[in-house]
Amino acid sequence: MRLAGAELVESREILPGQWLQTYRAPDIIAGARAGQFVHVRAGDYSGLVLRRPFSINTMDLATGTLTIHFRVIGRGTAWFTFLRPGDRIEMLGPLGRPFEVDPRSRHLLLIAGGLGMAGVRSLTDEAIRGGRQVTLLFGAATARDVYPSSLLPDEVEYVVATDDGSMGHHGFVTELVPEYEGWADQAFACGPLPMLRALARLAATRRDRLGVATLGRKRGGGRPAVAGSAAARRKAFLQVSMEQNMGCAVGACLGCVVKAAAGPPVRVCREGPVFAAEELDWAGGW
Amino acid sequence: MKARRRVVTASGAAVPAKRRPTVRRIKPAIVPVTRRDGPTGGQLTGHAAGATSVRATGPAEGPSPAAAPIHEVDLGVDLGRGLVLRNPVLVASGTFGYGIEYGDVVDVQRLGAICCKGTTLRARSGNPTPRVTETPGGMLNSIGLQNPGVDAVVEKYASTWAGWQVPVIVNVAGESIADYVEVVRRLEGVPGIAGIELNISCPNVGKGGLQFAIDAEAAGAVTAAVRRATDLPLLVKLSPNVADVRPIARAIEDAGADALTAINTLSGIAVGPTRERPLLGNVFGGLSGPAIKPVALKVVYEVAQTVDIPIVGIGGVTELADVLDFLAVGAVAVQVGTAIFADPTLPVRLIDELGAECRRRGLDSHRALIGTALPKRATATSARGAEYRP
Repeated sequence: MRLAGAELVESREILPGQWLQTYRAPDIIAGARAGQFVHVRAGDYSGLVLRRPFSINTMDLATGTLTIHFRVIGRGTAWFTFLRPGDRIEMLGPLGRPFEVDPRSRHLLLIAGGLGMAGVRSLTDEAIRGGRQVTLLFGAATARDVYPSSLLPDEVEYVVATDDGSMGHHGFVTELVPEYEGWADQAFACGPLPMLRALARLAATRRDRLGVATLGRKRGGGRPAVAGSAAARRKAFLQVSMEQNMGCAVGACLGCVVKAAAGPPVRVCREGPVFAAEELDWAGGW
Repeated sequence: MKARRRVVTASGAAVPAKRRPTVRRIKPAIVPVTRRDGPTGGQLTGHAAGATSVRATGPAEGPSPAAAPIHEVDLGVDLGRGLVLRNPVLVASGTFGYGIEYGDVVDVQRLGAICCKGTTLRARSGNPTPRVTETPGGMLNSIGLQNPGVDAVVEKYASTWAGWQVPVIVNVAGESIADYVEVVRRLEGVPGIAGIELNISCPNVGKGGLQFAIDAEAAGAVTAAVRRATDLPLLVKLSPNVADVRPIARAIEDAGADALTAINTLSGIAVGPTRERPLLGNVFGGLSGPAIKPVALKVVYEVAQTVDIPIVGIGGVTELADVLDFLAVGAVAVQVGTAIFADPTLPVRLIDELGAECRRRGLDSHRALIGTALPKRATATSARGAEYRP
């Protein structure tokens, strides 16, 4: 975690109301991993008292740049779109815990709903660099909200579902999952809560439905990894990146919690934003 | 150990005169108003309480600041019962966790003190989400006192705190007087715990859910009970959600609190984007941030004229001018809360800026800045809310 300046390099509206911005922030991305996020201060200090958390969408260590992808939903996010290349802002990061990919996983299934793309986008790069095969299932309301394939690496197999059938599969993106879950060694998802809930249900019943062993578990040997540890998450089939209204983003205020399967609510900013699906209580309302 | 202390009733009838601290007069007895504006400024020698020694020096007298610059500025603050802070900038409960979360980003040892997350007797899992939302010039929160319980807090953090230079004040909350007392008993004598701050803006389950903080009798009773249970320095945090805060402040002072914190959050709600229900999971939240600063200043202004114990001002501090405002209306120190979220390094920077401001004005301490905006009084003794006596 570092507090450092970031200089806007490029800013463009890639979809209606959705922006992709590139910042030069070498201090922030040093050591950062896919799934982590940055907490950024909007400039109108008098009216906007909170920072905004953004997933690190992509990172380029060679140029020291990162990108963030966001939708304009209020004055804070709108403020960022007024910035011009060369403008400087301040970032706190990298924050949170990353996706944990098992070294033996060859086939990764990524599932993104809408702006959830920003949550898993950096994992595509990391996985492809690691020589893995990536299938990315993406769900949106209509064709005009579909993330442009030109912004994805060529190696990714990109499958789209739209609610109105205007592009790709007609229906929810979760309906595409059964087709790929036998192929996948691990799955990683980010998106609306109902989508994640449906995926968690699929993952929980996967073993029975497909008759596959849980990844990486030694037969009768080895200590079980502590729930929530990186080792335990590596062995989980499904990891999800969660979203929540956030205050401090460092674990101090307990504003951004989600219900845990066992124990007190867990902090999205500290224990998350990435969780193994079985760590969370999906039945509860929050 | 506890028996030797006198029982102080909530009504304040049996307040022993000796309980009054001897050196902690926060309001200058005579405020050198008009003549302070000379090039040398007023020279407040020592504590403002030394009424006889306070006088303004004319331009012809005394050294000019330019000729004899003061390098060392004493920003120390005495909150009573041995709780002496190196500087008057604290971090507010709930915004700084247990002091470890900001890691390397903040030099916590430089802070005046850390007020840790609200701590209860048993572990609490808190309120449903969303728990926080931004509002114009502020934020609403309804965390619901999520914390692992006092025993876990002591076990996890006290040994770390004991090694720190910065005092850690444990913020204590409860649903009954017995709860508060039990939490405080378990903090008593633990190395690393420098003081207690009572959050009395909690529903009193024994009194039909009425908050302690909105009733003078209940506020006094809980303070008195905690006072009997501990020798630790005791701060009590006032709620602004009352018609008149003065009788409550008085009751808390009479019950033996060493200092007051003013203010806690204001109650409010936000509406969800679909307009189908309030936004926060708990419906109601506490408003904090710059939006509440005028309210906080008003409470400090009123309470400073009502009690003689020190007041720690809190509410919307985001820059040095805010610190100076709180000092001017009678606070001896300030807490920084919501602003930390946007700018974690702010509290430490404020310490430096306050020191620089004192140097610029030729002051050897920030004490001369305290209470300058309060109504001028001819005598050293305050009326202490005499109008509320029966």
